[in-house]
Amino acid sequence: MGILSILLWTPIIGVLLLTLTPGRHAALLRGIAHCFSTLTLLLSGWLLLHFDTHQAGLQFEEYVPLNPRLGSAYALGVDGLSLPMLGLATLLTSIAMLASLRITDHIKGYHVCMLILEFGMLGVFLAQDWALFYIFWEVTLIPLFFLIGRWGGKRRHAASLNFVLYTMGGSVFMLISLLAISQYDLEQAGSLMTSMHQVAKDMPRVEQVLVLLGFLIGFGVKMPIFPLHGWLPLAHVEAPSPVSILLSGILLKMGAYGLIRAVVMLPEAAAVLQPLLIFLALFGMVYGGLLAWRQNDLKAMVAYSSVSHMGVVLLGIAALNEAGLTGAVLQMTAHGLIAGALFLLVGLLYERTHTRNIQDYSSLLQAMPRFALVMTITLLAAMGLPGSVGFIAELHALIGGYEQWGSLMVLFSLSILISAAYALRTLNMLFTGPAKPSMQQLEDLRPPELLAAGILVAGIVFFGLMPTPLIELSQATLADMNRLIKLRIL
Amino acid sequence: MDALVVFIPLMPLLAALIIGLGNLFKLIDGEHREALTADVTTWTISLSMLLALTLLGADLLGNNDGYFIVGQWLTSDTLNIDLNFITSGINVRLAALFSILLLITCRFSINYMHRETGFHRFFFLLSLFASAMLLLVLSGNAAFTFVGWEIAGVCSYLLIGYAYDRPVATQHATRVFVTNRIGDAGFIAGIALTYSWINSLDWLDLNAAATEFSSGQVNGVALCFAVAAMAKSAQLPFTPWLARAMEGPTPSSAVFYGAVMVHAGVFLLILLQPIFAHAPLASAVLIVTGLLTACYSFVVGLTQTDVKSSLIFAASAQLGLMFLECGLGFWQLASWHLAAHAVVRGYQFLTAPSLMHHALHTPIKPINPYVAKLRWLYMASMQRFWLDPITDWALVKPIRGLAHDLSYFDDHIIDRMIGAPAPAIRAVSSLAQQEEQSLGARLDNDYDNFAQGTGLAGKFTEWFAALSHWFEQRFILRSDTKHGSGINRKLGRLANNIERIILRPRYLVLFVFITLLIAF
Repeated sequence: MGILSILLWTPIIGVLLLTLTPGRHAALLRGIAHCFSTLTLLLSGWLLLHFDTHQAGLQFEEYVPLNPRLGSAYALGVDGLSLPMLGLATLLTSIAMLASLRITDHIKGYHVCMLILEFGMLGVFLAQDWALFYIFWEVTLIPLFFLIGRWGGKRRHAASLNFVLYTMGGSVFMLISLLAISQYDLEQAGSLMTSMHQVAKDMPRVEQVLVLLGFLIGFGVKMPIFPLHGWLPLAHVEAPSPVSILLSGILLKMGAYGLIRAVVMLPEAAAVLQPLLIFLALFGMVYGGLLAWRQNDLKAMVAYSSVSHMGVVLLGIAALNEAGLTGAVLQMTAHGLIAGALFLLVGLLYERTHTRNIQDYSSLLQAMPRFALVMTITLLAAMGLPGSVGFIAELHALIGGYEQWGSLMVLFSLSILISAAYALRTLNMLFTGPAKPSMQQLEDLRPPELLAAGILVAGIVFFGLMPTPLIELSQATLADMNRLIKLRIL
Repeated sequence: MDALVVFIPLMPLLAALIIGLGNLFKLIDGEHREALTADVTTWTISLSMLLALTLLGADLLGNNDGYFIVGQWLTSDTLNIDLNFITSGINVRLAALFSILLLITCRFSINYMHRETGFHRFFFLLSLFASAMLLLVLSGNAAFTFVGWEIAGVCSYLLIGYAYDRPVATQHATRVFVTNRIGDAGFIAGIALTYSWINSLDWLDLNAAATEFSSGQVNGVALCFAVAAMAKSAQLPFTPWLARAMEGPTPSSAVFYGAVMVHAGVFLLILLQPIFAHAPLASAVLIVTGLLTACYSFVVGLTQTDVKSSLIFAASAQLGLMFLECGLGFWQLASWHLAAHAVVRGYQFLTAPSLMHHALHTPIKPINPYVAKLRWLYMASMQRFWLDPITDWALVKPIRGLAHDLSYFDDHIIDRMIGAPAPAIRAVSSLAQQEEQSLGARLDNDYDNFAQGTGLAGKFTEWFAALSHWFEQRFILRSDTKHGSGINRKLGRLANNIERIILRPRYLVLFVFITLLIAF
């Protein structure tokens, strides 16, 4: 049993322990859940320390054949693409646990769902076999359905149903694409992912394009890509804030992660679909930004800004060059940290005031200076201010896009401008203005909340000032991917 | 020995830092700290002087390499700027001379400035100026000479405006600074041309390249630097700034406009001697301006009634002669003239405050009776040949008019388009209204300005956002609005009906039979 299996199954052990504990011991239940999420975080930290950044291929591989006839296997492995996501997933789960202290009803079920969700997310990033990948992909849906439907806001039932239906609908297309590839004779060597790589080369061009379209719909729902984002505003607004953190921090990245893997598998098709991808990316960025600007609900604003920011990821992927891919992976990490922090802070604010309408707030600076500090840094990072990790990511994506399309990147700048407009307006409306008596008795961040927000903000600023470790982590893998892509489309 | 050169500009800079920081943190402040400031300045400039004299001695004995590189300052593609110094010839001699003059002025100022409010400020600027001037004369490349050139200019600006509570002083300071900027433009153009043609900024490289340049190139470079020199050394048409600069305290006038800074232009010409030797056009320009300035200054100097003004016109006349000598190719003469003039004029300026005391029994020599009868010349001299009004009319007035028009354009068109906030005075017409706004009450309207843009860009954003919002509601979120789901509901009802029909027992039995028939 390798380190990856230990990492993957640790949350499940936690779930088993939780189910055996009686529901009335609230503190004990919380303790177990925190303990196991921290353990997972430590394991992923160990992995980060021992990962060889100069090696492009998979590391810490595990391989156990499951169904030799179909070629599926229990294959795990990490490379420079999945490792940052793995670290982000374990970190944000721990933070979401810290932010869950205010949830008091059905603690047992809540924490069981959270740990199963972590299990599913880790599985998606660790799986090196499409069958296994698909299973974990669906595993994440079940706990999320319950988390939103049970602990959510007023329209939680509609939101959870909407979310699951959208994702299932997308998954169907993904499954069809996977089946379309596997109807060809697969080589028996290696996991399903590597052998599919081989097969995809020999498929007819039209079929490749159709398969990639299937993947685009499947992953695009999750990411979300512009017309498929209908589930997102509702789900984000209705979900409890710890779930929003995970939803925007990790689950959106699963879509982008899958899309990168698919594009590397089918670069010729990606080259054909490139104009569509870039259109969707740029349009989505401006569209999401404009809608975010219109929202007076803080959570809806952050949700739409996610649409805008994930457009940057799609843009980086669509550029099909190394700078673009680097930008996409960096933006995945950056957005994970920034959106996680934003949802955390907005959630904490909501718990205190029970209103999400930004116009109800005013002059919070005097009452909540600590909150004001972290919120300001996070919002500035969201608009891509130099010195924050958001800038590094957007810069790479911009360079990648510019190499490919040149002056079309004006739209990119426009979306950054729009994001600056709503970020600065939010700062203005939250922290300045006439003092309202109802807003002056609010409690500032408590130590555990400050710890949670502080870790994220420290990450945002640290990687903004010293991006090299983050870039180096995925550099070798991305260079190799770029080589594979260039090998086949040129 | 060459390495000593680094410390010559560094010592006064150190003094400036100590005084500046000390004053900033209130450690060096007030009358009881005057001695400390004075000591720091005197000692550092003395050290600089000793170092410069040592270097001069070594140079005269032939122990210097003539060139010293400290290290690289800036590298960008082919642009490569070293921090380097020239440690021989005119550079070292002038450094030695200037450091002596600076020390003398410094010593003089200690008594002269005693109990002045800006005592520490004066010595800070004097130290900074000393450092800049020594860097200017010693630097081995145009970039660092320019650094010294500019810092000296800024110090001059700050000292003319020494009594900044008087509007006249600040006005004159600004005028002088702006005039000097014209020369700076020439200097920068010269640097740019040098870099683009020989890929180096070193004075020695530039001089060596003089023979390789075409006549157009050499004249171009020479004219650019000539403009810089003319502005700094107050040649026509820049001469009027020198008289305005007399606003500062007397020791600063002595060291800036009598002894040291005003000679920087002539120094630049002497430094670029090989270039000017190959540039007949530029030399002709030098001859003409030098001659004109000398005549102009002589005539204007005749009618001056205060000692500083007459001294300064004498100085500009001498500088004009130096330009003339440079233009005619008498370089040796020009450099001796420079050194001698620096010493004499520095002495005259320092003794100017006590001139009445000295000149008590020596009557002023009347001027030539023939010249005295020329009334039009008298008029022109009194008005200083109307140079300032001409400049005002030709340059200042049109620019001011343009600025006024642009400001109007900015306020009325650009700002409205961009949506920049109008000045508060226009937005709020009454106190009640302002009170209302500060309370956030908005009693007069219930207009909600969330998601409303101002200006052209803001309006566009607003419209596009509204369009996106409509699209989002209509096509993407429609399923959960109450009126949009007509088709869905009909389809659902149809499916329910079909299912109900299929599940009736008779049809069910029929299906079973059909299935069995097909199976067998």
